[in-house]
Amino acid sequence: MNSSLVKLAQVHSYCKVTKLYNQIRIFTYLFSNLLLFQNCLTSKPPLVQWASIAASQIHTSAPMCRVVSGKYRITKKRDRPLTYEMANPPHYIAHRKSWNSWNTSSLKDGLRRSETALEDEFIRRFMTGTWHGLTCSEIIVKRQFNHIRVAAIVRRAVSPTKMYFLLGYTEELLSNWLQCPVTLELQTVDSFKDVVFKYI
Amino acid sequence: MYSNIILPTRWSRFTCFCRSLSSIEGQKLPQSSKSSDGISPPPRIQRGPTDILQALASTVGPDPTAAHYKYHDDPYLIPLSNYRKRAYALSAEAGRKAAAWIRDEHAELFTTREWDPPGKTKTPYFNADPKIDAFTPRPIYNDESTVTEEDLKHTIQNALLEDSVKVFQLLGGIDGVADYNLKLSFLQLLCFYNEKEPDSMEWLEERWFSANTRDRHAATWKLGGLADKIFASLEQKTSEAYCTIIQGMAKHYQAKRAHMLCQEAIEQGIPLSTSTFNGLLGCIGFLKEGTSLRVEALKQLLAQMEEQGLTPNEETLTSCLRSISAWGGGKILQQLAQQIIIEFRKLGIQPGLSAYYYLLCLYCKERGPRIDILSIILTDLEKREKLIPQDVTDTNFFITAMGVCSDHLQNINLAERLHALLMKGDNYKLVGDAYKESIYYRHFVTVACRHASFERTTQLLDTLVPNVYVPEPTVMEEIIKTLEVAGAGDRLAQAWSQLVVFGIANRTKLVERLLQAMCNCYEYQSDDIKAKIRNAASDIIKYGQLTDEEIQNANKQDRRSPQQKLSADAMANIVALCSDVKEKSEPDWDTVSEALNRLKRNEAAGVPSKPQVLADMAQTAASMGKLGIAATALKYLAECGFEEAMPASVQTLGVILNRPQQDVETMLQQRGDLERTLHPSALAVLDAYYLAKSGGTSRDAASSTSSESDNESSTSDDE
Repeated sequence: MNSSLVKLAQVHSYCKVTKLYNQIRIFTYLFSNLLLFQNCLTSKPPLVQWASIAASQIHTSAPMCRVVSGKYRITKKRDRPLTYEMANPPHYIAHRKSWNSWNTSSLKDGLRRSETALEDEFIRRFMTGTWHGLTCSEIIVKRQFNHIRVAAIVRRAVSPTKMYFLLGYTEELLSNWLQCPVTLELQTVDSFKDVVFKYI
Repeated sequence: MYSNIILPTRWSRFTCFCRSLSSIEGQKLPQSSKSSDGISPPPRIQRGPTDILQALASTVGPDPTAAHYKYHDDPYLIPLSNYRKRAYALSAEAGRKAAAWIRDEHAELFTTREWDPPGKTKTPYFNADPKIDAFTPRPIYNDESTVTEEDLKHTIQNALLEDSVKVFQLLGGIDGVADYNLKLSFLQLLCFYNEKEPDSMEWLEERWFSANTRDRHAATWKLGGLADKIFASLEQKTSEAYCTIIQGMAKHYQAKRAHMLCQEAIEQGIPLSTSTFNGLLGCIGFLKEGTSLRVEALKQLLAQMEEQGLTPNEETLTSCLRSISAWGGGKILQQLAQQIIIEFRKLGIQPGLSAYYYLLCLYCKERGPRIDILSIILTDLEKREKLIPQDVTDTNFFITAMGVCSDHLQNINLAERLHALLMKGDNYKLVGDAYKESIYYRHFVTVACRHASFERTTQLLDTLVPNVYVPEPTVMEEIIKTLEVAGAGDRLAQAWSQLVVFGIANRTKLVERLLQAMCNCYEYQSDDIKAKIRNAASDIIKYGQLTDEEIQNANKQDRRSPQQKLSADAMANIVALCSDVKEKSEPDWDTVSEALNRLKRNEAAGVPSKPQVLADMAQTAASMGKLGIAATALKYLAECGFEEAMPASVQTLGVILNRPQQDVETMLQQRGDLERTLHPSALAVLDAYYLAKSGGTSRDAASSTSSESDNESSTSDDE
């Protein structure tokens, strides 16, 4: 039962990722079209164009306004388990739930934007793969100075000794990979059911 | 590969330099003693990079209610027993080692230079700051590597002994390395570690838990090893080279050669350092036999030092005392130690922790007379602002001193003072490793249990157990004794759950001791505490059952650890505790019958020493209508041939029939009448009476009757 739930959850998270991915693809497609279009109109070099568009903050994805990313479809049997984080759609961020990545790269003059995003995704995949079938929640990546704190909820499916092994392994390998101290902040629950907020 | 980015790196360095200059300039202003407006800010204090962190850390004291910070803060992951503490910390480290192995094994994958990656020159790029050397892959040296003298320098600086030997050989050995200073520093490395790879500083837990790796006091110096060869090959033997090789030999107890080399150097007029003489002083015991000869040699060496014009230091005192304490005890050596300390005091040299440790070893022998030098030592140490660790043996001081408090002096006040000293400031790092820490607390808790007030003891236990220290079985016994004397029933009931949590609940002796303690102070407890004690007692018997089942399962796999049986006394104690209830429906009766069954099935070792307990229980049981239990108890008594069986069964019958004792005795004369009138379960009591009367210790008769009574008792229980 538990494992199937976890599998379900994983499948859904994949769905979410692919949805997001599609969204981005459409967005970039539109964006490039627009660029081409503008290039035809004016004879300025493309880079300047890019800058002006970024500055003007045109919402180019307006036609696709039916927001689907980060939301889950209701199943017929109403048996899809959702965690609290999944149950709240993105517009509730900072109201009912908070961010999954904490860093300052998106502030004005923020550093290492793309690198941060990529590293966060790497950390997420590394965690779900290393703690295989154990992670019950989203993986929260918090950055402070050169220190990365990774928080998650895991199932108590393996013995504490093994968990400590994985803890040490993950921390050391990630810090060697990312060249900065990494700390894991885990909480354990008895089963995946404990983190299910509702079924839809 | 990185050539195209040298310029920006340099540029950033330059800007950084400029910034630092400007900041220095900005800070220079206040240093002038007085400014025009009469405000003079204090001069700038130079701070290190971690000073703020240390200041912050000093605001938080140790929190004994939380587990050590190396453990993960989650109820599932917090260890509560000694075994788990060790296992968890070491598994985390094993994981770390696995990761480090992957990093070193696949070093080609870990070449991302986060701090200055290639191809990032066009956009303004901010490098990861600071660059941390510990996260970069280590170079691996094997036979195919091409190495330079830089590599040798690097390995020597990082104390990578095996790597440096490899590099040295790759460079062509003794003839290959031409640089004299490099050769000398390599010789120093070899001498310090005796050509053995030291335990890595990286694996803290392994060092912490590597129990009792006491360095052997034997000549471990590798004769004719690489160090010797390098020293022999040096064409021009300077004072540094002599000092190095002599210290190395002295450190690893190759006393004779060290002294020979020392004489050689003195004859050639090569000056030797104080530390060289310190090393020689430390290994006199390996040079001479017999106390008087050794003392003479010691004095001779000190005189030689004076001839050379060397001033002794604290280490000299320590190594003198180390030698003296290793030669045994006795008045002469004690006096000599005293003399030396007084003379060093005159020179203004205070003994350090190691010196005091050796002094304690010298004075406080296990079977010797009680000498209280510890209070003097403590008074001296308390006066010092800070205890600065200087020697590895410094960590032996606290454990030895606490041992002296506990075994030799048996003085709780001194122990408290010592503990306060350990807790002061940054001193806790002097506790040593896990092994020493646990011994330290073992002594401390033992002396507190024996000599401190009960309030102080419980307060101490509440702060220490279980996060700082988990008591070992012997200490637990001491604690149980203390609780028993103080009559703390509540804590005794808790002690059982502690035994389970600490993983020592299968220590039969300890559990028996606990049951006895519970029994002894059961009477004068309040009702709710009595209930708690009864619960604990029934838990104890259930715990045994659980492990029995597990053993049956485990028996198929291996039968390495046969479960020890609780003694019959323990069972009797459980019976006595659990039979003290007011209601027939109490679940405690199940515990009683389980205990009795175990007694009957001979599953408990021995026979109860106080059978009266069972006899009393039989009456109580009968009065509550638990005739089956009463009958089983009486039958057991009769079978074992206790003389209490007969009067007890008469009394029990009296209770059942609600008649005075004489009436019952007269009725018992006519057996037939009674048998006809009695309830079947009461008949079993009757059987027990006749069995006891006939002195029926014959097992055959007993077993046949007991099987009958079994059936009867079971039917009566159901009613």
